[in-house]
Parts: sequence; C-alpha cells; structure tokens
Amino acid sequence: MVSTFMGLETSKRALSVAQSALYTTGHNVANANTPGYSRQRVNLSATESFPSPALNSPRIAGQLGTGVEAGSIQRIRDSFLDSQYRSQSSKVGYYSSLSESLTKMEEILNDPSESGLLNTMNNFWGSLEDLTTNTDNIGARAVVASSGQMVAETLNYYYNALTSVQEDLRYQIGVEQSGINTIISNIQSINEKISKVEPHGYVSNDLYDERDTLVDQLSQFMNVKVSTVFPEKYGIVDKAAAEGLYNIELIQEDGSSYMPPINLISVNHTGIVGVNNIEVQTDSATGAISGVKIGSTTLQDYKFAGALTGLIESAGYVEDGTVKGAYPDMLQKLNDMTEAVVKEFNYVHSQGFVVGEPPTNGGNFFEITAGKNAAQTIKVNADIIKDPSLIASGGKSNAAGDNENAHHLAAIKSKDFTQYESGNVPAGLNGTFDTYYAGVIGNLGVDSASVQKDHSNAQILATSVDKNRQSVSAVSLDEEMTDMVRYQQAYNAAARMVTLVDEMLDRIINGMGTGGR
Amino acid sequence: MRVTQSMLSNNMIRNISNSYERLAKLQEQILTQKKFSKPSDDPVAAMMGMNYRTSLNQVEQYSRNISEATNWVESTDSALGQAISALQRMRELTVQSSNGTYESDQRDSVNEEIKQLKQHLVDIGDTQLGGKYIFNGYDTNKRPSDTMVDGAPSYGTDEIQVEVFTGIKIPINTSGQSTFGEALKTGGTIDQLMASLKSTDEADITNRLAELDEMINVFIKEQAKVGAKQNRIDLMTDRVGQQEVFAQKILSSNEDVDMEKVILDFTTQESIHTASLSVGAKVIQPSLLDFLR
Repeated sequence: MVSTFMGLETSKRALSVAQSALYTTGHNVANANTPGYSRQRVNLSATESFPSPALNSPRIAGQLGTGVEAGSIQRIRDSFLDSQYRSQSSKVGYYSSLSESLTKMEEILNDPSESGLLNTMNNFWGSLEDLTTNTDNIGARAVVASSGQMVAETLNYYYNALTSVQEDLRYQIGVEQSGINTIISNIQSINEKISKVEPHGYVSNDLYDERDTLVDQLSQFMNVKVSTVFPEKYGIVDKAAAEGLYNIELIQEDGSSYMPPINLISVNHTGIVGVNNIEVQTDSATGAISGVKIGSTTLQDYKFAGALTGLIESAGYVEDGTVKGAYPDMLQKLNDMTEAVVKEFNYVHSQGFVVGEPPTNGGNFFEITAGKNAAQTIKVNADIIKDPSLIASGGKSNAAGDNENAHHLAAIKSKDFTQYESGNVPAGLNGTFDTYYAGVIGNLGVDSASVQKDHSNAQILATSVDKNRQSVSAVSLDEEMTDMVRYQQAYNAAARMVTLVDEMLDRIINGMGTGGR
Repeated sequence: MRVTQSMLSNNMIRNISNSYERLAKLQEQILTQKKFSKPSDDPVAAMMGMNYRTSLNQVEQYSRNISEATNWVESTDSALGQAISALQRMRELTVQSSNGTYESDQRDSVNEEIKQLKQHLVDIGDTQLGGKYIFNGYDTNKRPSDTMVDGAPSYGTDEIQVEVFTGIKIPINTSGQSTFGEALKTGGTIDQLMASLKSTDEADITNRLAELDEMINVFIKEQAKVGAKQNRIDLMTDRVGQQEVFAQKILSSNEDVDMEKVILDFTTQESIHTASLSVGAKVIQPSLLDFLR
C-alpha cells in the first residue's frame, strides 16, 4: 500500500524542484552580463521509486515513481577550452607588452620624419657642406656649431627618453609582480573556501567562476597549467559536478613543464601544500632583471611567456653577464654610433687648422664624458659655440678660404665605419652612419611590425577560443526565457496535481463513510 | 554553435572598434598625406624612405654648392672681361702713341690714362664676392693690393674646391698670380710701357705691343678656362636638377598617399562603418522577452 498523502509529497517535490530551477534561471538572467560567469543548470533526476526491493517490501504493482529531485546545480563549462584560452592569453599578454614598448620606442625615435635624428644629422652634414663654400663666413660657422648642437641634443633626448621609458617598464614589472602575487593569493584563498564547501557535497559554482576568472587574469602575465586535485580526505563527493582544488604550475611558452616542475599553487593528495610567490630580482649594477625567483627556484630564461616576459625582454635582462633586451640594445646602438662618429669627427677636426694667427690645430668639436654613455653625454665643445671661428676648416693653412678640412669633415657622412681613421670603432658597426642608422630604424620597424602582427594573431585566436567558451558558458536570454516558461508550466502543473490530490482526499474524507445519511 | 546575446554584443563592439581603427588609420593618412607614420607601419618603405631622404638632402645640398660655384665663376668671368677691356684700351693707346705723331704732353696724358688703367686692374684684382677676395687663393679675407711684394700686389695661388656631386670637386677660383700678378708686377710690361712713354722711344713702345698682346692672351685663355668651367657647372646643374626631381619622385612614390585611393578607401570604410552600426542596432534589440506576454 502506498501512503494516502504520497501524491501530495510527489507534487510538493515537483513544486520545490520547479522553484529551484526557476531561481537558477533567475540567477542566470541576473548574471547575464557578469564577466566570467558560466550559466548554471539544475540537474534533475527522478527520486527513488517505490517500493524499493527488500524482504519486507509491500507486494504491490511497482515500481511507482515518487517524483523528482534537484540532484545538483552545475555550471556549464568546458575546461579544455579554458586551457586553450589561457595558453593564447599568455601569448596575447607577451606580444601586447612587447609591441607596446616597441611602439613607444618608435615614437621616441620618430624617424623617418622632419625632426628625427637622420634629418638633424643631414642638416649637420649640409651645414658642413655650406662651410666648404663659405669658410670665412661667421654665419655659416655658427650654423655648423648650432646644427652640431642639435645633433647632440637629439641624441641626448633619445637617450633620456628611452631610459625613462625603460624606468617605467621596470616600475611596471614591479607592479605586475605584486599583481601576480595578489592573484595567486586570491586563487589560494578561493581554493581554501572551496576545500571547505566541497567535502559537504556542495558545488560552489560561483567560487569556481571567480577562481577561473582569476586564473584567466594570471594567464595574461605568465603561461600556467591548471590541474584539478581531489585530496584524499575529501571522502565521497560528486566528482562529476565538483571541481576540486586547483594546482597551478608555471609552464614554458611551448607548453612544456620546467624540470623540476614549478608550482605557483601546490595541491596534492593531502590538501593544499602552499603558494610560491614570485619575486623579480634586479642586478644592482646595471638595473637589469637578473632573475625571477619562484619559491626556491630562480629562473633566468623567462620562457614562461605572458606580459611579464614581454616587459622583461623590453626593459632588459642579464644573460651570460651582458645586458640584453630591446631597450638596452637600442641604447647600446645609439652609444656605439655616437662614440664612433664623435671620435672620427674630433680626429678629423683636430687635423685641421683654425683661421687666424698663429696657426693652430682644431680642438675637439664634440665632447663626450669618457666611460659614460656617449649618446647621453654628447655635446658640442662650449668654446666652439661661443666662438664658431674655432671650427677647423683649413686643411693645410690658417687662411680664411682654406676649405680642405671642411671637405674632410663633410665627407665623414659618406665614410664607412671601417674607414674611420680615428680607429677603435665599437664592434658591430657597418656601413656609413646614414645606412647604419636607417638599418637600425628599419630593424626596429620590422621587429615592431612582426610583434604587432603576432599580437593581433594571438588576439584573434584568443577571441575565437573565447567565443567557443562563450558559446558553451554564456547566458542566452532566449534560452532562459524558454526555460522560465517551461519551469513555470511545470510548477503550474505540479500545483494542479496538488489540487487534484486535494479533491481526491476530499472524496475520502468528506464524501466517504456517510452511507444512509 | 550556441550563440548568446553577450556574444553578439561583444562581437559587435569588437567589430565596430576595429572599424573605427581603420577609419582612424585612413584619416591619419589623409591628414598627413603619408602612407605611414611609424616604421612598423611599413618597415621596408620606412627604411627606403630614410635612404631616399638622405640622397634628396644631398642632391639639394649639391645644388646649393653649385649655385655658389656659379656665383664665383660668373664673377670671375666678368672680372676677367673687365680686365681684358682695360688691357685692350691700353693696347689702343699704345698703338696710338707708337706712330710718332703725338706730342709729349699728349704722351703724358696717355701715360696718365695707362696709370689709371693699371690702378683699374689692381681694383679688378681686388674683386670681392660676398666679402671674399676671389683672386687671392685661400686668403679670401685679405685684400691682394694690401699685401705688396716688391711694390706690387701679390695674389694667392691655392685652389678653392667645391663639391658639386659625390666625389666630384670643381676648383671655383682663378689664380690671380698668373694674370693680375704678372701684369702688375714691378718692372713688368705695364711699368716698362709707362717708362717708354716717358722716354718717347717709339721703337720701344712698339716693342711693348707684342708683350701687351701676350698679356691679353693670358687673360683671354684664363677667361676661356672659366668659360669651360662654367659649362661644366651648367652640365652639373642639369644633372643635379634631374637627380633632384628623380629623388623627389622616388621619395614621393615611396611614402606619399595616393589621394584618390585613400579617399575612396575612406568612403568605403565609412559606409561599412555605418552599415555595421545599423546592423548592430537591429541584431541586439529583439529577444524572446519582446514576445512573451
């Protein structure tokens, strides 16, 4: 026999399940625009039917269904797409920070343009040509001095602007270091919360979403691999719906693990082991990045991609005792170039003669501070600015019209670095000043363009993976509305069932046992 | 694929912002009239552009140098021309005085005129161009007639060279020593002529005629050289002028925008943008909500 009130019980369950399904629908609609939110579904399952097979089970026709229950509320998400997205996202981060810093470099160098170094340099060479035709004209001399000063100032500006961006990049590395550590500790604290909820059989969907959003953020800074762990002491949990704890490993650009593996958050069968914060270390002598310390390991290859690597590769890092990276390389090139030209120019200048009595050789035209950065310290000899007649234009005499050395000075523009007579030209310089510098700018352009292209490609891929992810997890209002109609009707129908049972009970209670009345 | 409202709106925002980006790029091209503003926009064109600019600058510089050389050569030519006519006047006077019909006071006035003509030659030898004495070699700031050697002005002999093209230098000055220096030297033809006029030795005066002719020839030869130089410079002017046009053309085709194309692109992009905005507005609006009552 089944209980008199069983129909009511069944309907009550249906009502409450329809209600929780409606509430979940409401939750989905409410979070339709929440970033990182994944839609949730109530897993409905029929309750155990009656009678259950047992020795003393009643001998009735069976089994009779007893209604519905809400098994669990699960978020709908594909962890495979998550890991795909994260590996793209770390590439986006890497190329975005690299392309940003290279674009800044291009903006500072500002070539080809009317105000770039090349044009300033051309003006300087031009003023020397003018000097060859007007050696005794004090105006032409003043123009040489002041256009030389413009060259020096342009180089100073380049050097200082590049180093100040480099400083900004280093500062940004510090900011990102603390950002990364904050994200790690936030993930850790969510891990802890989850470890308190899951063993009780609950599924904390919103915490999962929050945790995944944080991991997404982390993946912009460095390439990470997430694996889920159910510690042994968890006991029996619904592993289909529960997600367990996140173990987060730092991996290389190509997706391979470091040997031994480096964990940012370690979780094992005993539970949460701990977190490893990152610490970016700086070489005190050069200010360049000397390593990234994670827990007890110090990495020096920065192959973990992400924005942090992009910044480190821009701002400069120490490798095999030398400083490398986009900014240090450019500064080095500017210094080498400046040093070579200054030395050659001074050499040629000092071979010439100054106009006037007694015949004297020219001094240094440009001045650089020995042992310091040439591009930063270059300036025109103050005496020459004060008195441009000190420019040594004469080749063999102190006569006003002797323009031989002016020719030699102007000819430096078309001289190969290898032909420089002053000797000791820094290694790696080739071609004339013009072609070398055009090459430097060309290379910068190519690098920057290719990084920008990589950035937009990575972004397109990330967007398409994200679209797939959205396709699985995002809330569709149409769908929710349909569900709402569905569950609302289910609720109505269950309520109708209650009325039916009520009417049946009315028949039993009020309409029966009154025979003859 | 399951498509949701947020996907649609994200998609739309992304597309519209891409479209804005393209509009901004085209607008920049129209405003600057340049195909690129940063080397990374077009690295090859940027690098070539730098080389083209350098060569254009050089060509412009050479044409400046050439015009300076032209100035020198033209002033030299006219100075030599004046010197030649002065010498020819001297020759005329010499011919007149050599036939024995002149009285002594007439010879005196001829002598006086020749003295003036000599002074005129000295003045021509002091010709200045932009403050520079063009017949004094490197010593362009010294007046030749101020530096007397043996009572006659001395002239520098150095060649002042100007670069008119890469590696091509033209000497722009003419040495004053072989022309004015020789003519004006103490005890030279002119001095002897004046001495002969004083001594009224007609045969002696006639002898001077040949010497004067020789002297005029030296000046004429020098003027011819200057003319040849002038020709060479004119050729260079043409060549550099062509180079300049050529360099400018290359530079322009390398980095200047094709206006019609850019405006057409801009108009196309503009209509694409408007279309995507209106499509976006239509796509986002209706949902099931609008039909549920």
